[in-house]
Amino acid sequence: MTRYLRLTLLPLAMAAIAGLGGCVTSTVQEIRESATGMDATDSIVVLGRRGRPRTGETELDFVSCVSRNMGSGSNRLNVIDEQTFTDALFPWFEPRTAPVNTSDLPELMAIPALTARLDELGLRYLIWVQGSTKRTESAGSLTCTITPGGAGCFGFLTWEKDSSYEASVWDVRNGISAGKVSSDATGTSYMPALIIPLPFIAPVRSSACSSLANQLKSFLIDET
Amino acid sequence: MASVTAMIGAPANSTFAGSRESSRYGLRSKAGRAALLIAAVGVLTGCGGASVAVPTSFPIPLVEKLPLKMGVYLNPELLAYVHNEKLESSGNWSISLGDAQQPMFKNLLTGMFDQMEFVADPQSPPANLDGVLVPNIEEVQFSIPSQTRSDYYEVWIRYQFKLYSGDGQLLADWPLTAYGKANERNYGMQSNQQGLQAAALAACRDAMAFFTIQFQGVPPVKDWLAAKL
Repeated sequence: MTRYLRLTLLPLAMAAIAGLGGCVTSTVQEIRESATGMDATDSIVVLGRRGRPRTGETELDFVSCVSRNMGSGSNRLNVIDEQTFTDALFPWFEPRTAPVNTSDLPELMAIPALTARLDELGLRYLIWVQGSTKRTESAGSLTCTITPGGAGCFGFLTWEKDSSYEASVWDVRNGISAGKVSSDATGTSYMPALIIPLPFIAPVRSSACSSLANQLKSFLIDET
Repeated sequence: MASVTAMIGAPANSTFAGSRESSRYGLRSKAGRAALLIAAVGVLTGCGGASVAVPTSFPIPLVEKLPLKMGVYLNPELLAYVHNEKLESSGNWSISLGDAQQPMFKNLLTGMFDQMEFVADPQSPPANLDGVLVPNIEEVQFSIPSQTRSDYYEVWIRYQFKLYSGDGQLLADWPLTAYGKANERNYGMQSNQQGLQAAALAACRDAMAFFTIQFQGVPPVKDWLAAKL
């Protein structure tokens, strides 16, 4: 009976613990500079800013997360994958050559092959994502010991992560800036350990990603 | 901060949970467990260098093609180029660039010129060619995050280009330094391998991008193009 209870309750307890996580607070803001709107054939691309030597750059998986979220769910948009886009328009969106401001767009659009390729792709909006997720605070200690009799950990760890991202939306067809959307998220994760460490992870970056993607969707679709 | 304590020192005949099979292969011995722990720590920390080859898939530049028939000569040293370096306390590192050169220059010249072909000798090329390009890698440097206290693997490749006319005369000789970087945070535990490879690939793409935008502006090339077009 005890064995039966142990076999039944242990997975339930583990599942319940796994379902828990640290709390995340997120804030989304937008600045609109011009009206937006999309036709069924229009597409968008989300690009990470790749700076020159050692400046911070957005994580690849954050860019693909925003891209994926904008291309799925309700109000899904036609999203071109970042690598597909940079390959199709090579070398004009490489770190050395990528436009920095919308004022660089007219010069780019003067290249006939590039304009033709953009028309082929149906690109309407180009979204540059900048920012990163950083660990801002951490405390506690955790010690793991391996002995001939077994292994175990003891202690308590806590850390805080801060995500801060900004997306600049460029209207490629009109060569202007449509606006900016920013997403900030903060969350604290915990890891108590009494033989087995149990992580309660705050999904800070994924929360910032889904907030940014949802806000970008409504920013592009709502004609204001 | 997390700390890991490993207590290795139990006698080989202790009651450590393990099968006779593991005992036979030495896992119950001090040395066996020490080796396992060192290997595990090595995997976790990603130390110990890396050996990478640059992928051989490159895009074709999207530019207006020059109406020229261009040859390209890739010498055997370039096609076998490997940069090896031993870093103090970070192991042996190797970046193989040779295999990537042929697809890289094929796509680069296919995008930039009406026709391109590989030639066996730049100084006596086939009669139908307007010119022959000869690239060479002069130097490769790289840095890893622990050296620069940053999140980045960085790779620099210094190329030297020579342009020969259709009758084998040297027209131009100029350097090109390409740079690529990759954030270690994108690659998790395998960051040495994948990060260095991504940085090397980025440097090769940068070489292609730089060449595309620079070629027509190199003074002797500019004069040659003015006479040809």
